[in-house]
Amino acid sequence: MRAVRYDMTRQDVMERSGCGKATSSPAENYQLARRRTLQVVVSSLLTECGFESAEKATVESLTEMIQSYISEVGRCAKAYCEHTARITPTLSDTVVTLNEMGFNVDTLPGYAKRSQRMVITAPPVTNAPVIPKALIAGQKRTHPSHIPSHFPEFPDPHTYIKTPTFREPVSDYQVVREKAASQRRDVERALTRFMAKTGETQSLFKDDVTAFPLIAERPSSIPYLSALLPSELELQTLEETDSSEQDDQTDSENTPVNNLNDDPGADKENSVLLAGSVVPLVKVSEESMIDNPYLRPVKKPKVRRKK
Amino acid sequence: WDLLGLEIDMNRKKDKGFETPLFLNVLTCYVMFIPHTTHQVVCINNINFQRKSVIGFVELTIFPTVVNLNRIKLNSKQCRIYRVRVNDLEAPFIYNDPTLEVCHHESKQRNLNYFSSAYTAAVSAVDPDAGHGELVIKVPSELWKQGDEMNVLKVYIEFSLDQPKGGLHFVVPDVEGSMAERGAHVFSFGYQNSTRFWFPCVDSYSELCTWKLEFTVDASMVAVSCGDLVETVYTHDMRKKTFHYVLPIPTAASNISLSVGPFEILVEPYMHEVTHFCLPQLLPLLKHSMSYLHEIFEFYEEILTCRYPYSCFKTVFVDEAYVQVSSYASMSIFSTNLLHSAMIIDQTPLTRQCLAQALAQQFFGCFISRMSWADEWVLKGISGYIYGLYLKKTFGVNQYRHWIKEELDKMVEYELKMGGVLLHPTFGGGKDKDNPTPHLHFSIKHPHTLSWKYYKMFQCKAHLVMRLIENRISMEFMLQVFNKLLSLASTASSQKYQSHMWSQMLVSTHSFLKSISNVSGKDIGPLIKQWVDQSAVVKFFGSFAFNRKRNVLELEIRQDYTSSGTQKYVGPIKVTVQELDGSFNHTLQIEENSLKHDIPCHSKSRRNKKKKIPLMNGEEVDMDLSAMDADSPLLWIRIDPDMSILRKVEFEQADFMWQYQLRYERDVVAQEESILALEKFPTPASRLALTDILEQDQCFYKVRQGACFCLAKIANSMMSTWTGPPAMKSLFTRMFCCKSCPNIVKTNTFISFQSYFLQKTMPVAMAQLRDIQNLCPKDVLNFILDLIKYNDNRKNKFSDNYYRAELIDALTNSLTPAISISNEVRTVDNLNGDVRLILEEITRSLNMEKLLPSYRNTITVSCLRAIRMLQKNGHIPSDPSLFKSYAEYGHFVDVRVAALEAVVDYTRGMHRTSPSEVSRTHPIPYVVHKILSMLGKNPPFTKAAESPLCNEALVDQLWKLMNSGTSHDWRLRCDAVNLYYTLFGLTRPSCLPLPELGLVLNLKEKKAVLNPTIKPEQGPDTTEMTVSSVSMSSGVAPPPQGLKRKLDSVVGPLGSSSPEPGQVLQEEDTSKKFKIRVRISSEDEIDMESPHDSQAFIHHHLNILERPSTPGQHPVKHPALIILLSDNLEPPAVDQAVLSLPVTPLPSSFGKESTSSSKHSGDHHHHHHHHEHKKKKKKKHKHKHKHKHESKDKERDSHAFSNSPASGRSARSPSMSD
Repeated sequence: MRAVRYDMTRQDVMERSGCGKATSSPAENYQLARRRTLQVVVSSLLTECGFESAEKATVESLTEMIQSYISEVGRCAKAYCEHTARITPTLSDTVVTLNEMGFNVDTLPGYAKRSQRMVITAPPVTNAPVIPKALIAGQKRTHPSHIPSHFPEFPDPHTYIKTPTFREPVSDYQVVREKAASQRRDVERALTRFMAKTGETQSLFKDDVTAFPLIAERPSSIPYLSALLPSELELQTLEETDSSEQDDQTDSENTPVNNLNDDPGADKENSVLLAGSVVPLVKVSEESMIDNPYLRPVKKPKVRRKK
Repeated sequence: WDLLGLEIDMNRKKDKGFETPLFLNVLTCYVMFIPHTTHQVVCINNINFQRKSVIGFVELTIFPTVVNLNRIKLNSKQCRIYRVRVNDLEAPFIYNDPTLEVCHHESKQRNLNYFSSAYTAAVSAVDPDAGHGELVIKVPSELWKQGDEMNVLKVYIEFSLDQPKGGLHFVVPDVEGSMAERGAHVFSFGYQNSTRFWFPCVDSYSELCTWKLEFTVDASMVAVSCGDLVETVYTHDMRKKTFHYVLPIPTAASNISLSVGPFEILVEPYMHEVTHFCLPQLLPLLKHSMSYLHEIFEFYEEILTCRYPYSCFKTVFVDEAYVQVSSYASMSIFSTNLLHSAMIIDQTPLTRQCLAQALAQQFFGCFISRMSWADEWVLKGISGYIYGLYLKKTFGVNQYRHWIKEELDKMVEYELKMGGVLLHPTFGGGKDKDNPTPHLHFSIKHPHTLSWKYYKMFQCKAHLVMRLIENRISMEFMLQVFNKLLSLASTASSQKYQSHMWSQMLVSTHSFLKSISNVSGKDIGPLIKQWVDQSAVVKFFGSFAFNRKRNVLELEIRQDYTSSGTQKYVGPIKVTVQELDGSFNHTLQIEENSLKHDIPCHSKSRRNKKKKIPLMNGEEVDMDLSAMDADSPLLWIRIDPDMSILRKVEFEQADFMWQYQLRYERDVVAQEESILALEKFPTPASRLALTDILEQDQCFYKVRQGACFCLAKIANSMMSTWTGPPAMKSLFTRMFCCKSCPNIVKTNTFISFQSYFLQKTMPVAMAQLRDIQNLCPKDVLNFILDLIKYNDNRKNKFSDNYYRAELIDALTNSLTPAISISNEVRTVDNLNGDVRLILEEITRSLNMEKLLPSYRNTITVSCLRAIRMLQKNGHIPSDPSLFKSYAEYGHFVDVRVAALEAVVDYTRGMHRTSPSEVSRTHPIPYVVHKILSMLGKNPPFTKAAESPLCNEALVDQLWKLMNSGTSHDWRLRCDAVNLYYTLFGLTRPSCLPLPELGLVLNLKEKKAVLNPTIKPEQGPDTTEMTVSSVSMSSGVAPPPQGLKRKLDSVVGPLGSSSPEPGQVLQEEDTSKKFKIRVRISSEDEIDMESPHDSQAFIHHHLNILERPSTPGQHPVKHPALIILLSDNLEPPAVDQAVLSLPVTPLPSSFGKESTSSSKHSGDHHHHHHHHEHKKKKKKKHKHKHKHKHESKDKERDSHAFSNSPASGRSARSPSMSD
């Protein structure tokens, strides 16, 4: 089954590519023609250098390199020209560019006139690709009077004007509550269903065990912990509602434990509840003054010392 | 008797005194000598959580008050005693606990009267107050002379405890990690004086001594005990710590406690001498819950004008607690479930009340102890009374009066149902025949024979009587009396023993009354006679007529003093009459023959001017008087408004009077009474009055809660004429729903607690509404469903778990029986639409609980109840398996109890569908207690009704449970007795065959009797109950059906290697073999034992006193057996239970069994000492022989039990020589 499917997709791809070749766009044709010319150039250069044959991949790589070189020259030249507030690059732009890229321009005429150069046919004439018209949405703004008309036109209004794409949010209390309630219910239902589907369940009906599935109870070794400690969710709420009130109260009662009890869990729990409330140093010294027998250090056995 | 005694005495001499430590000689111990313990050292140097065992020693400093003290009796149960030394001399001792097995070989006797008297006698036989005890030590003769010089004796006892079932409770969670990481802990517990369960002592509240307590525990643990922690010292290997406590204040052994665990420690910030302990991770909860304690301290110290008597106070919060609160000298042990966070509303007052109770008992109960059991009421009364004062101060007068009414009603209801509760029983000459409470099925002579419920009512009555005394002598004098008691006691406590002052620390009824009369100069004799020396309550019926001509109110007050639980009252009674011109108190004299009382009215009948009406509290209010009788100036009348008589009043007055009373009387008790009365007057006027109360913010919230339910009832009675939306719906909408969208409830804030409680209650009451088809109106159901749907707690700083739970309860309340097509199986498809919605909610809530559990799992509890209700009403198939799984060990205790309640309910409802009964063991005494009391409350059948469940097997099972299965816990035993009483009554259960005359049993007949108990285990399809019987004498519980497989692995090899008798019955299964073999052995005994049972009956008392038993042979080794009905399918709980069965005793008793049976068959049973002794009288010549065997056995036995050399006088245990 899977294999067949795979085949089908492959076929699909092939068909598509075939289609592409048959009805390639003018822009693609244009580019292909130029690329071919570049390949020819590369091949001739290789011949010039004395190579008799080259791997296709090599030619392809070199073509790619030459293409990027030429593109870079073009891009830079264009940049130089725009830098000087012009729109068409001049020879000097190109020269500067080539120099900049580490090419000695003076060697160029000599190279052009070298004896063993091969003549290549010009690339086939193809129509220059038509730049597809941008989607025009709305009326373009005309230049205001202080801007000369040769300046570029304004872009489409949608590119700079805020266009609201959402509806006014419902602020009706009833609807909000309704939504919140049903959302919560849906989440809860989905969650519990999921848990029931993925885990063990108990059922209330014998005929249809999937109706009203109950997540199977799981005895815990220390059942009182989960039953007494507030869940994280509740703790969050508590922190949100009044974190400031709590701090004052609990601060002073916080420390004595840590002296004797080295249970890391306890400390963690503490820090969770009292997140953000740093015990001031003064408190610590106060605590140490508390004389409670359970906080006193444990004595070493006496007998050993005698020994 | 004398003759026997003499003979035995002579015997003893022949045997060279106490050579055989197990030799019991009770008859010679008639001489009463009560030596006084002045100081006791308890040292527990090893607590093994893995094995649940404890090793230690005690040293009692005894001050002989008689010359020639030759025997010392101490209390000890469960403990294995290795050696006893008196002043460094080895001393022989005898250990005999007659309460282990109450009735001996009474396979035929199944009547409760017999049991009760036997049990009472057994408890009396070891009653420390009478100088008795389970452990009798013979003072070496070398020391007798010392006795002449009255020198102190030091009694040193080495003991150990292995898997204790009572006294100490080990909680060892089954998780990874060290014991400290697992949160394993152990604590002492018990009902009344139960300290003897964990160390030998004089277990009496009246025997005071000073204490030195030492506990060596793991370095990661803390040992909390009574007194001051002097120091904590590491052991040499630095792995353990020894906690040294000193308690210089003379304290009864019964007030000594211990808890050891990896506790987190919190020092009370306001009072550094107070320390709180809780289990790991709960510290934040502890901080919050304890933040209030100092105020309670301040309150008590202020009213008693006396400082807290001990130099420190400790609170320990433990899991699986026996009771919510138990107080011991300078410490209290609480259930960890009392802890709560700041988000919890409902638990907060409850926890504070528990703290206040504990602290009140510190003053009266721990510091001041009682002279005897008969004086218990004084202590319970005072501590309950001052706790009431605390309630009044903290929660307000309304709450206080509401509480008093509640307690009074509860107590009155109990007394009327069960017969009176007697506070101060006096026993004429100690003879059983003068039973002051013949109406009860148990004796009140000892705290340990009391039913738990009775004891609760006893406490209730005690504090109510204290309140009556206060009414009589004023609170000021009352507090002076308390102060006097306390200051006398504290003076005494600092004295040396020799000054004979310590008895000042004991309160007796006599001394209490004397100090009342000294302080107040008033004679409260009649009051005491009426309520303390006499049981029962007063029942009044009142009615009145208004005589217009004479302008007189003719009040008639009748009494019912003939029915059970009632007594006649003669004396003053207060009547309050609210008239138009004001409220007037009248004190009438209730006399022998006068029923009618004329009360002149102050106001003329019709007022002309409209003016305000003055109330009792001075307030003047406008009333709409159009409802009242134009001829009468009476608004309402109240009889005994201050509850100064322990009574029930049924008073008749017109509905409008009740309505006026509800609206305008400011006393919450009056309001609650009128609410109750208005149920009988379903009129629009009542409806209006109730609605007005509901809306009134000033009104006490509990009254408003009550009004909700009353309104629901009225609405149901007025169904046909009811107009408008369902009762309370518009009210709820107005109070709790959004203004803009009345169908949506506001988001929760719970800022006003009064509103919160009302908001919780109203839906529950509304769900009780019914329409003409007797269904819950669709409106109401949708309304409740909407409440659940729109419930939003996100912005609330309080948890809404109780609220949500009550909404589920509301859904439960809305359920009505399904229209049943006969015997149709309930399926999903034929589920009614509304029920489907309800079930949807319940399922979702229950499932959400697994992901986000609520505090105390309140929602799970409500959901379980709802599911049971759905089952009960036939909406979904009735099936207990769900509940059984929730009842397993490992769920939160509230959940377990709720689930068990459902299972109990199931047994009641479904007993026709052939359930079989399965015995289960639960490691938590509280849960077992709950099961038994729930079964008692909701019995599957009663003595009146026929039931297929009522059969011989069940009788046997229950009998064994109370006879020997529950010897480790007084409360459980009494629960079992209660249940037996509920099921079968006092006399022999009717389902049993008639007893053979003379009770001569031979082997054949015996078999016939036993057969039914074996049968049900053979086929799962029988309708009989599976009985797990306790084989009393051998200390082995034959496993019930479900347990067999499991036990096999433990017992199997031993069982199969065990000798033959079992094979006589040709059972394939080894475990069955094992079981039957045990039976056979007991048959043998009986066969040999009781040729003349009538004779045995005559020697009944003798037997009880004469039942020796080595510590190793306790049936205590069994966990309690619990009867629960279930299907033949074994719930996993049983497996769990089996695993928790202490397995060690089984093999050991087996070993013993096999060694004994390897001897000739006559000796086969010789470890059952009581047989021996009974026989002894007949065949004295056999004595020596037997005892030798016995001692050998004992040695072997103890070897099997523990790693320490254990025979009576052999070397010290390795752990001690450390």
